[in-house]
Amino acid sequence: MDRAVIHLNVADFAVAVERSRDAHLRTRPLIIAPGGSPRATVFDMSEEAYGAGVRKGMDLRRAQRLCREALVRAPCMACYERAMHDLVRQARPFSPQVEPGEADGHLFLDVTGTGRLFGPPMDVAWRLRRQARADLGLDPVWAVAPNKLVAKVATRLVKPDGEYIVGAGEEEAFLAPLPLHLVPGIEGDDLVRLGEFNFTRVGQVTALGLEALRVPFGRRAGFLYGALRGEDASPVRAVGQQPPRAVFDRTFAEGTQREAVLQGALYVLVEQAGAFLRRGGLAARRLAVSLDFSDGVRRARQRRVQPATANDANLFALAREALHLAGDRRVRVRHLRLTCDGLTFPPAQMALFPGDPEDDRRQHLVTALDRIRQRFGAEAIRVGRTLAA
Amino acid sequence: MQMETAHAATDASGRILVGTSGYSYAEWVPAGIYPAGTRPGGMLPAYAAAFPATELNYTWYQMPKAAALERMLAQVPPHFRFAAKLTRSMTHEVEPGQWRGQAARFRDGVAPLLRADQLAAVLVQLPPTFHRTQAHRRYLAALLDELAGLPLAVEFRHVSWAADRVFAELERRAATLVAVDVPALPDLFPPLDVVTSADLFYVRFHGRNTRGWRSGHMQQQFDYDYADSELREWVTRRIAGMARRARRGVVFFNNHVRGQAALNAHRLAGLLAAEGLGGNAPWTAPSST
Repeated sequence: MDRAVIHLNVADFAVAVERSRDAHLRTRPLIIAPGGSPRATVFDMSEEAYGAGVRKGMDLRRAQRLCREALVRAPCMACYERAMHDLVRQARPFSPQVEPGEADGHLFLDVTGTGRLFGPPMDVAWRLRRQARADLGLDPVWAVAPNKLVAKVATRLVKPDGEYIVGAGEEEAFLAPLPLHLVPGIEGDDLVRLGEFNFTRVGQVTALGLEALRVPFGRRAGFLYGALRGEDASPVRAVGQQPPRAVFDRTFAEGTQREAVLQGALYVLVEQAGAFLRRGGLAARRLAVSLDFSDGVRRARQRRVQPATANDANLFALAREALHLAGDRRVRVRHLRLTCDGLTFPPAQMALFPGDPEDDRRQHLVTALDRIRQRFGAEAIRVGRTLAA
Repeated sequence: MQMETAHAATDASGRILVGTSGYSYAEWVPAGIYPAGTRPGGMLPAYAAAFPATELNYTWYQMPKAAALERMLAQVPPHFRFAAKLTRSMTHEVEPGQWRGQAARFRDGVAPLLRADQLAAVLVQLPPTFHRTQAHRRYLAALLDELAGLPLAVEFRHVSWAADRVFAELERRAATLVAVDVPALPDLFPPLDVVTSADLFYVRFHGRNTRGWRSGHMQQQFDYDYADSELREWVTRRIAGMARRARRGVVFFNNHVRGQAALNAHRLAGLLAAEGLGGNAPWTAPSST
């Protein structure tokens, strides 16, 4: 059966939530940025501020010079999470498969096969938008498409206001005239490579065919070709059935480029993740480091953890590799995130041959640290490298 | 009903076209309207093999886009006609400063249908809350002015518009008044056979589900199966007369639940043919998939 996926997207989510809480903010350009720091950077901004040149990650003082009439509000992450929760609550009666983003105003619903209960998917989407406007003061754009990828492109296309319906079988024709950067999963490196061939539109690339794409892109050609033709089999996950993972964040109010600071902060996050995993008796099979730079660029790199582990030192070795790969830019880092997923129960089988004594020592060390912190608190003992963070 | 064995009566000269409001309903496959295995992308060609016209409902939700309509035109025969519902931003969710721009976008969007001479009408459906007030009269007049040049058909859903002065104004503008069949409920615009345009009459069958009409659920509101006697009454008491007063007519069934709209449209086409109001044309069987 052809799928029907709805994507709701509240443009400038933080701004939209702040304006729903305070009507006075609707009449002036608005910048969301942490206060109390002389080198704070812009977290989000309204359409008017964007029009004046303000961008995410921009130095707040510069942003205020560009848009002098803008009001500034500090981010309220709890408010954004509550607003996401409300959006999900409104959507749940229409489908058991509702997948929210991370307090970012994005929401996917799979309404395949619900027509006899609720009517056509586009009517469900329209009703959801109407409810969000009436009850939450939010005004999402919406799209209906056969999969998540195409639905997401469609809302990107009409943002900040509108709707788009892409029928089954229309995916390739819909994407063909669009700029390549609108397609999720097409990364900066891909765009650079495609740009070298003077390709700017989706249809130019798909016209080449898969075999021709293999020459410059190798194994990645399969993914590129599928995505650019609008193929995406990824499911809309049910609320509460997201794949288990551990996510830990660190925000640098003024941004930093210092290697020691970044590594120290990363080690703290690794310690938090490791403790979380060990408490649950779990181990990670994959970790990812994601960096938000002050110019608004986000880069993420991941590493496979083989064998799965919850040991801080083992996790850190891989996390540091991922950090180096993601952070090779001469731009300050505003936000650092460590994600551990592919969670599993660590292998219980005894090793057939004696293990690496260094591994044993690391394990003993972590166990000892855990015991000290359990007894005297998390700050009772610290690893030296975290002092710089 | 199996479409492979059905025959529809449609006027050979295209004088009265009978179809349904929308054609893309997944539940029409298990209902037997479309062959088993028909995918959404294959519904329009299958529909066009069986009916001569359809209403585009999606244009109420989304502003029509010329490229999408060109792709649709490529899937239907040249004699097929579309009625495009006016987008909600000009009827149900009007924003004072923006609707004129929306009207221009709508005109651009349906341009391929107009160029191909396959636009039967633009359906201006107004909400039940759109009562006949001075402000609403002014807005409607301005809207019709803005859309002038398009074949307009106006559907009122509130009884206050059932007035001779309204009909006279539509006639002056050569705009079609849409005749409706709806449940006998207070405040609804009544079933009438008034013809305000010599070019086109337009009938919409919404079903007579009294209990479901105000349920807020389409699946209940439009769940109705017309009896032959109800359809026959429409043919003899209304459509026959309307056909004498207008050169062409379109009739659409909106009771889409479980494919009832398609079945009723088929039956009505047969009744029209029996009354000599439409030449019989065989209902071409869609290809099975």
